Amino acid sequence: MTKVRVTWPGGSEQELAAGKGRQLMEALRDNNTGVQGTCGGQCACGTCHVYVREDWAGRLPPRTEDEQAMLDAIGELVEIRPNSRLSCQIVVDDTLAGISVEIGPVP
Amino acid sequence: MSAQPNTSPVNLKILLESQSMARCPFPIPVGWYHVAFSDTLKPGELRNIQLFGQEWVLFRTESGKPGLSDPYCAHLGAHMGHGGKVCGEHLRCPFHHWEYDTDGWCKTIPYAKVMPPITKKQPIVRMLPAVERYGMIWAWYHPLCEAPSWELPYIPEMEDKTGYAGQRRGTWTANTCIQEIAENGVDVAHLKFLHNAPMIPPVEATYDGPKMRLNIGQGYIIGDIYGPGLNVMRFHQKEPTTGKVITATMISYTVPVTADKSQMNMSFRHVDFPAGSPELAFTKKQIDHMIGAAEGEESAGFESVDFIVWNNKKFRANPLLCDGDGPIFPFRKWFSQFYVNADMAKILSSA
Repeated sequence: MTKVRVTWPGGSEQELAAGKGRQLMEALRDNNTGVQGTCGGQCACGTCHVYVREDWAGRLPPRTEDEQAMLDAIGELVEIRPNSRLSCQIVVDDTLAGISVEIGPVP
Repeated sequence: MSAQPNTSPVNLKILLESQSMARCPFPIPVGWYHVAFSDTLKPGELRNIQLFGQEWVLFRTESGKPGLSDPYCAHLGAHMGHGGKVCGEHLRCPFHHWEYDTDGWCKTIPYAKVMPPITKKQPIVRMLPAVERYGMIWAWYHPLCEAPSWELPYIPEMEDKTGYAGQRRGTWTANTCIQEIAENGVDVAHLKFLHNAPMIPPVEATYDGPKMRLNIGQGYIIGDIYGPGLNVMRFHQKEPTTGKVITATMISYTVPVTADKSQMNMSFRHVDFPAGSPELAFTKKQIDHMIGAAEGEESAGFESVDFIVWNNKKFRANPLLCDGDGPIFPFRKWFSQFYVNADMAKILSSA
């Protein structure tokens, strides 16, 4: 397991254990953070949107075309920032130990 | 073995190969196929049909466009032919009212705030390209959903408003694949022995991409073949009282129901000769002959005799052909262009 830090817009904060090789979305969804991840990681629903803390955002692999398309689509309804990501597209491994994300707004 | 003196080893392959042969060892071939007669499908109507090895939902939009859809909604797999309906230009799934146009693009998800991005990029339900020609709905089948690579031809006998007549048509089911049926076109030797033709007629087959032209009996039958699903066979014969050459046409359009079952359909058309003329009587007899119903003829049309062979044979990839046989191998080589294998394991494991 890898430790990840989750914050909410209000400022509260929680530390979670995320399974290695799994999607970060799954850890968020399964730990009552309010993240739904409805489509299961297909970049089809946009409900696992997070803002990755700035110092971590640049260390992730870039958005894929599918992820970008989904962020663009929800961008008509919610605020998308340069550090916006779909947490289903973040695969947890040791290099992400201590990553910090804020739960983002969703459609 | 038997009485013949024989010092060389027996060729066991020819003796034993049939055990491992299949009746129809082919996928469903690429091509345009007859799906239904246009007048059987009204705007707003849908029905389930069995073709190309699976079920499909055939429907017609309110404006009149035909559609042929994989039955299962991309959302949760509901069968759209059971409880679904045509809404305007769309097919609507009964389960959550997702709607698709005739190309399979999802146009409406009534409760989603954001359409999944893939819906903007591509169709998400497989719908076959469909057109209306010759008073029929035709669909393009390709195992990998590729777009049509040729167009259906103009057939004056079916498409000219005047000049032609004839309402006769028929439908038969053959328990074999289209290649096996079509191979009889170049197998002229069987015409003498299975059909009791007076002789083995000469045959020339020429090939041009998806098209093939057959010339049987030095112009007696000229067949234009457009892929696996459409043959136009023109029979040319001299009418004895006038000496005029009269052409009668058999349009044959076979569709694969499964990989080893084919529905053969044929329409028979002739020149619209005046009622009571010797030409009309003659051309009607030509058509009787094609169907195999002509009185006082020894020669048998396909209906009576071909099925017993088709329905029971196996496909020999290595046939033993002799002199006098027709050009079977070039035909098979031409037909192989219509086989595209879909590697489902690879397709389904991709992201």
